[in-house]
Amino acid sequence: MKLKINIKNLSKKFDEKVIFKNLNLKIFQSESLAIIGQSGSGKSVLTKCITGLLRFEKGEIFFDNDYEISELDNYNLLKHTAKFGFLFQNAALFDSLTVKENILFKLNSSNYEEILNKVGLDKSISNKYPAELSVGVQKRVGLARAIISKPEILIFDEPTTGLDPIMAYQINKLLKKLVVDYKLTTITITHDMESVYEFADKVAFIDQGSISWYGKIGQINLNKNKQLFNFINGIN
Amino acid sequence: MNNPVKFLFFFAHRIGSICVNSIIKLGDILIFLFDCIRCCFLPQFYPKLILFQFIRIGFNSLPVVGLTAIFTGMVLALQSYTGFSRFSAESVIPNVVALSITRELSPVLAGLMVAGRSGAAIAAEIGTMKVTEQIDALKTLSTNPLNYLVAPRLIAGIISLPLLVLIGDIIGILGGFLICVYVLNFNPNVYLLNTFNFIEFIDVFSGLVKAAVFGLVISFMGCYQGFNTKGGAQGVGLATTYSVVSSSILILFLNYILTSLFFKL
Repeated sequence: MKLKINIKNLSKKFDEKVIFKNLNLKIFQSESLAIIGQSGSGKSVLTKCITGLLRFEKGEIFFDNDYEISELDNYNLLKHTAKFGFLFQNAALFDSLTVKENILFKLNSSNYEEILNKVGLDKSISNKYPAELSVGVQKRVGLARAIISKPEILIFDEPTTGLDPIMAYQINKLLKKLVVDYKLTTITITHDMESVYEFADKVAFIDQGSISWYGKIGQINLNKNKQLFNFINGIN
Repeated sequence: MNNPVKFLFFFAHRIGSICVNSIIKLGDILIFLFDCIRCCFLPQFYPKLILFQFIRIGFNSLPVVGLTAIFTGMVLALQSYTGFSRFSAESVIPNVVALSITRELSPVLAGLMVAGRSGAAIAAEIGTMKVTEQIDALKTLSTNPLNYLVAPRLIAGIISLPLLVLIGDIIGILGGFLICVYVLNFNPNVYLLNTFNFIEFIDVFSGLVKAAVFGLVISFMGCYQGFNTKGGAQGVGLATTYSVVSSSILILFLNYILTSLFFKL
């Protein structure tokens, strides 16, 4: 399988707080990777470093074995960031734009209705504003916006956070369908093990600034990593 | 801190770190300003957003600027009368009103009003977008946030403030005219003749240049504070406060600098 993203010795800190120290991770094409870890372990920060939304102090992130992110100027960094479709934790829809304007932001895509159907939305909501929508519908709109530009990599940041169990189940099913249909490389950040079991091929567990366990989903319950065991089973 | 040498070192360290941090902050602001101004001249352009911001910053500020100008003109006429009547110089009141309004009061007061109204709104809007990851979302949609969010506001600010000030000049002079004619019994024709014969191009022009600079300051500080918002609602509140305070102080400071420059002309 082709190597899509190669992270080498990544270090990142905010002021004096160290988030990562020499973190290494490989993400392959068409694989669905789940990144799990406790709150504040740096999962979201890692994806923001990968997408170029955050600069990092040390280390290298190679994309497609083609270029290294930290060497990009602002113009090329923006082009790199646009290769990702990002479903943000709170959807991050633009407040002042309607659903349709959010999804078709800068695009004149003819497959608008097809995308709406794909994420399970009806076109009757097209003229509504984000504030008029429930959290679950906002996430679906965010998902539609992320996939309509046909990104190379999809990132789901806590896709089921803030949802009731039924909506979380529906979103998990929807994401699995998208992962299977589009055969895209996906990175999912989550606390929700249901999401992990639903559509992850591989799992990376972040603990104390580095990847403390990495493996296939089938091996996760066979691991001997105590922190991961505690995390999966909700033991403090 | 009983040891005076230790205290001295501590004091020097504090002063040093404040100076270094201030220089870093200033550098940060100047780099952001340079990037923002550059984005006004580089594609992508958003004419619809410029028009939208022009309406929000300029047109919607018209009532507050108009009210400020008319009351200022009225008060100025009354106060000038109090002073000038003591040495029988009432005839110069139209000149004083026109000069004070066009050169000083209209640009400064309009600047302060727009800073409180639109500068705060810019900081709050961009700050909210920052903390809710909407700015990150823009980047993933191959949109430079500086082009999309900052450039339209800067351009709208630079254009709309001089227009507001021009309207403020007219309303302010009208305020003085109303008081002088209807309260102080001046001859209206003489008042207007005095005003128009006395006022020079440089009086109005200097006020408009100041207004353009204040427009840039208000929009820029709103955007800068918005982009540097941290945390949640509290962070947005702080960004709004900093935006208004920093814009107001800069307006007063730059007003002095610009007045000094025009004074030499």
